[in-house]
Amino acid sequence: MILKNWRIHAWVLVIVVICEFMGTQKIPLGPGVLLFLPMLYAMVIGGIVSWPRLKLIKLEEMNASSKALSLLALLLVTKLGVLIGPAIPKLLQAGPALTLQELGHFLGTVILGLPLALLLGIKREAVGATFSIDREPNIAIIAEKYGMDSPEGRGVMAIYICGTVFGAVWLGLLAGYLGAMKIFHPFSLAMGAGVGSGSMMAAASGAIKAIFPEYGDQILAYAGASNLLTTVGGIYFCLFVSLPVTNYLYKKLLPILGREKDKEAAK
Amino acid sequence: MKTKYMDTISILLIAGVLSVVGNTIGYKHPWDIALVGYLILVVITLLGMALADFLPIKLPMVFWISVIAIFSTCPVSPIDKTVLFYTSKMDFLALTTPILAYAGLSVGKDLPMFKTMSWRIVVVALAVYTGTFVFATIIAEMVLRMQGLI
Repeated sequence: MILKNWRIHAWVLVIVVICEFMGTQKIPLGPGVLLFLPMLYAMVIGGIVSWPRLKLIKLEEMNASSKALSLLALLLVTKLGVLIGPAIPKLLQAGPALTLQELGHFLGTVILGLPLALLLGIKREAVGATFSIDREPNIAIIAEKYGMDSPEGRGVMAIYICGTVFGAVWLGLLAGYLGAMKIFHPFSLAMGAGVGSGSMMAAASGAIKAIFPEYGDQILAYAGASNLLTTVGGIYFCLFVSLPVTNYLYKKLLPILGREKDKEAAK
Repeated sequence: MKTKYMDTISILLIAGVLSVVGNTIGYKHPWDIALVGYLILVVITLLGMALADFLPIKLPMVFWISVIAIFSTCPVSPIDKTVLFYTSKMDFLALTTPILAYAGLSVGKDLPMFKTMSWRIVVVALAVYTGTFVFATIIAEMVLRMQGLI
């Protein structure tokens, strides 16, 4: 199993060495900076290597790589856990903030995503696409309720694929940029970074840590705690609150924001 | 079950070598202490996975792994100093670089489907990720300020 896919690990070794030698780069842009961390290059170089037309790696190797990814995401959870331990007293103090900001994680996807999707003429796909951040546990919810052949199923899959392709890169750049603008305290940004996806959380919290090195491990402790709440709480919250709320808002907003013919149909 | 754990352990060990190499190049931590730190992380991860597999209560793996990891370094833990000493030499960012390299290398399997998607859904995806991050950050900022913690 391992020996069969040794090439994928060799690729990772080459990529890691190149990326760590390149180091972190900052490019000022407007009021913030574009922050490029080694992990960002790693994602992009990896993506290029796996470009199907280049035929550098086989499909089964990509699948093995995806399996390694989900396993190593657990190791990241462990690393965050050992950083959370010593910070427990501080985290308890910030308990109200940690709990309430989860509402932002669970409903922020709908608030921004749903109206935009309707304005762009997307219909029932919008419900699956915006009810959550659409990682594996959320797909399971949609699969069970609507099936994967439904418009809702296509919506959730589309955002899932986007997440795999550019989610981490986007969140890394966004978090770095917002951080450098110094509007928000690093602890708030760190909590925001706990979006409930291992790679996106890593990219976002890594960027925040790089902007505010003086807060170092505290940033990771807040991000880790928030990510844990999002992941564990999300299973229930998305099923019992987010999905019904998204459906309700869809019904209310479609006649206002939808395309003309959809408005008629919705009346 | 047994082969599943063998696979898991071998992937974790290979990734360990890659992570320690990156950790030494990028963050200049002593490789031997970092390696011990990495192995401690592996042991905690495996314990958490085993709990999720064998306990009758069905909770996600992430939960059990976090419980053990947090417990190992919380102020009442008898081994907190040891675990922190070693694991702190294994930098978080050095762990993320190989992980995102694996993520990148698996992108190719999703690219054919990605290419068939409309630009509209890509815009919606950006809004979804931005929304979840920014709204949580705004709420956290407001509550932390009200509490006077920042």
